[in-house]
Order: sequence, then C-alpha cells, then structure tokens
Amino acid sequence: MRWFALIAAVALCLLLGLAAGEQWINPFAAGDGLEHMILWELRFPRLLTAFAVGGLLALAGAWFQVLLGNPLAEPYVLGVAGSASAGAVTGLMFMPESAWVMSAGAFIGAWIGIVAVMFFAHLGPNRMLLAGVVLAAFWSAVLALLLALLPEQGLFRAFSWMMGDLSHSDLPIPILLLAWLIALICGLILSSALDKLLLGERHAEALGVDVKKLRSSLLLLASAVTALAVTAAGTIGFVGLVIPHLMRLLFGSLHRAVLPASAIGGGLLLVLADSAARTIIAPAELPVGILTAIIGVPVFLFLLLRRTR
Amino acid sequence: MNGLMKLADVTVKRGGATLLSGLNCDIRAGEVTVVLGPNGAGKSSLLLALAGLIPASGSIALLGKPLPDYRRRELTSHIAWQGDLPPTEFGLTVWQRLELAAGQGDRDVESTAAAMDIAALLHRPLGELSSGERQRTELAALMLRDTPLWLLDEPTAHLDLKHQIHCIQMLKSQRDKGRAIMTVLHDIQQAMAVADHLILIDGKGGAEYGEAHKLFESRKLTELFDAPLTQQGSALMPDYGDRK
Repeated sequence: MRWFALIAAVALCLLLGLAAGEQWINPFAAGDGLEHMILWELRFPRLLTAFAVGGLLALAGAWFQVLLGNPLAEPYVLGVAGSASAGAVTGLMFMPESAWVMSAGAFIGAWIGIVAVMFFAHLGPNRMLLAGVVLAAFWSAVLALLLALLPEQGLFRAFSWMMGDLSHSDLPIPILLLAWLIALICGLILSSALDKLLLGERHAEALGVDVKKLRSSLLLLASAVTALAVTAAGTIGFVGLVIPHLMRLLFGSLHRAVLPASAIGGGLLLVLADSAARTIIAPAELPVGILTAIIGVPVFLFLLLRRTR
Repeated sequence: MNGLMKLADVTVKRGGATLLSGLNCDIRAGEVTVVLGPNGAGKSSLLLALAGLIPASGSIALLGKPLPDYRRRELTSHIAWQGDLPPTEFGLTVWQRLELAAGQGDRDVESTAAAMDIAALLHRPLGELSSGERQRTELAALMLRDTPLWLLDEPTAHLDLKHQIHCIQMLKSQRDKGRAIMTVLHDIQQAMAVADHLILIDGKGGAEYGEAHKLFESRKLTELFDAPLTQQGSALMPDYGDRK
C-alpha cells in the first residue's frame, strides 16, 4: 500500500510538473503546436532530469549516512559540493560562454574533492567526517577567492548554479536515468551488507561483512553519484538528508526498502521543488536549491524533534 | 571432548601495548571457559582476537586450521561473537536486529525472542528499549547463530537478577548441548556456576589457563582483582566489610 502510494505520488507529481509553469497546460488536452512543444520538449526532459538527480542525491545521502554511521549526514558532508562549485566557477572563469565547460569543471572539481577525502577514509567514520568538514571549509575559502576574481557578468550564473539549477543541465537524460538505475541496482546488491553495517563495524564484521571493502565501495559509489548529480544540476541541498530519513520512517530501516524508496522519493521531491521553482515567480525562475531548503529545513527539524522525544 | 580451537603462545596487543602474552589453551565442545580479570586487562580484546576481529600473534587454530587462513564469511559459520550493544540511530527494530543475525536461514525469530523474554518488544525500535532489554535482544541474536563456538563479552551486563540467572542457565544448557563457550564475566558467583575452565588475565601482561576448580581459590583471585574476597563454604564472596 505504501509503495503504491509512493508510485501514485510520483505519477501525480510528474503530471503536475508537466502542467505547471509560466503557462498552465493540461497535458491531456494539449494541441500539436506550441503547447505540445513546451510539454514534451521543454518540461518533460527537465522533469526527468529532476527525477534522476533527486533520486541520485537521496541514494548518495542514504549511503553517506551508513558510511559515516550518522543518520544526519548528507551527500555534501565531505566537501564534495564545495570542490565541485570551485571547479564549476573555474570553468566559468576561463570560458564564460560555455555551459559545457562549467559542467566539466564541476565534475573534475567533485572528483578532486573525493580524492582528497579518500586520503582520510582509513581513519574510520568519525575522523573522516571531521576531515570532510575541514575540507568543506577549505573549498568554501577557495570558492570565495574564485568568486572574488570572477568577472561581474559571470556572478549571476555562478550563484544560480551554486543554489541548484536544472535549466542548464548538459548531461544527456538517458545517461542520468541509466546512472539512477545502476546506482539503485548497486545499492540493492550491497543492501544486506549495509543493513549489517547499521549494527556497527564490529558486529558487521562478526556477521561476515568485509567492512573495509564495503566502506571503500560505498565511498566511491556515493561520491560518484554525488559528482554526477552536482554536475547535472549544481548544489541542491536537503534532498539527500531528508529523503532517506523520511523513507526510514515510512518503510523501515532495511536497505532493500530504504534504497528504492529513497531513489523514488528523492526524485519526487525534486520534481515537486523544480515545478514550484518554475512557477512561483514565472516567467522568472527560482533556484531549485532554495525551495528544497525551504521544504527540507522544517521537515528536517521536525524529524530531529521527533528523534529526541 | 572435541578440540575446537587451540591457542599456543598467543599474544594480544592494543595500541602498541601488550595486554597478555604466552596464553596456551584448548577450547573444546561442551565446555565453558570463563575469562576473568580487572578492567582494561584485555579480556574483550582476547575475544576479539579469537573471533578474528583484531590480529594476534602466536598460533590460534580453529579445527586445526590457522584462524587467519579463514575467509571472513567462512568464520561466521563457526564463531558467533556477542559484544557491545549496537548503535540505535537508524531505527532498527528488535525483529530486524534478529533477522540480521539469523541471516537467510529459517530459524525461528519468534520462538527465540520468546525464550529471551522479548516477544512483546519485537516491533519496537532498539532505541526505545532499556539497556537490559537491548542486552536480551543481543542474547536472542546470539541464540539465532547456531555456531559451534560462542564468544561472549559480559553477557549478563545490564540484566536484572531474573535475567542474569536465566542467562547463566541458558549458557549451561547450551554447553550441555555440546556448544563451546568462552565468556567474559565479572561476577565471581556466576563464573563459579558455569565455568569448566578459567582464563585469568592479570592486567600486567600475564595470562593463566586452567581447570576452574583449581583456579577458584581466594588468594589467587584476591591477587588478580586486587580486591578482598572471602571463602564462605565452597563459595568465594566479595568482602564488603561489616554491615555497620
């Protein structure tokens, strides 16, 4: 029943996403002309991008939470967003006209951030988290420096990317959807080991999990997925934090349920947020990251209060 | 009795410091070996080493094969380890915790939970339970692991008197069914009730193994714990001093 409700909510949100925008269009009554083009050539691809990116962020969040043994971790906790942003702004600095170079810069930046974190992976979850927080501060400083050097005309583009922007995604949609599917399958393959890791490293090892290998695979997988999402849509916060948490409440803690539910639920939230971002101040657009934060912060605080009770 | 695990000249270190060295012992099916010693002496580390969870030097052989030669997954069919209470942050329920221990097998989670007096808690998150209830959950998880060797780190910790007695009775009944058990205990009475053999770790690097009835001796244990014990009949009792 809960699965049915989740799938029905996705279908409903996709329909709403198609209909909403500067001009409201009934998807079932659109003609062949301009409305058809707006629906299927502009809104539909963007909805798919939002769905895939949201799902990837939620999956990465769920993985980082288990990896760091902290249910309040999120995909950007280890500073990957900062390094990706620094990479994107560097790309913008050198080739301001090319969105592609900016995406490439973000992708390279994300991986530089990941490699930096990898050096600290052997220290265990707590120290790795600490290293990630310090690295995030470092990347923020680098980003601030780059923004100070960036010509004025590039600033708006940089800021809108840093707050999440699905309007300029250059990654082909089939690649994003395929990544969503592969990530979900990898997650399901690892799900039994991930469940055991919820008991702590010692218990997991005593139950036959090769914890060192699992942690490395998880770090690589979660980071790669974060890098892809950040390249496609800039930094969008709170999806990876709130969705896995919410899905644990709805579907229980075992990963064979949490991961597919998060992959779908993350997509759902971002489709909803992006539809709102395109509509609220139409014809202008809000950066989607602002909306995920506005939805995510109260939900997160509610969950936090619920946890402490 | 069947030899299950053989330790020869085993040394266990943590953080560069030698906790115990030169330990020789045989762990056999149908016997309980109790590990006694002061806090920080290395009792838990010894169990971790025997479970293959931390390295040790010397020779540890399980069924004649060196422990390091076993694959992690292979070891789980021979050894079950009970240690600290697992974290509760992720909202696992008692049922889910037990399922993770039972694996893909069809062992009966419900009847095991009933045996450990936690049947009514099965669908509650671990974080909502008391420490004693969580400890009983861990003991139920252990019972779902049908391995020939159990390594238990303070199984009676957090338990009330009724469940402490129940736990010791459970260990005796498992021993009688042929299981090999090595357990860390802090209560001398419980140790006397269940031990066939003792390992005494003195916290200064020394470790002694022998038959329980030979090592349960007031002078030796007083020395081991650096705490006063008195012999009352056949029992050794902590000396708390006079009532007034």
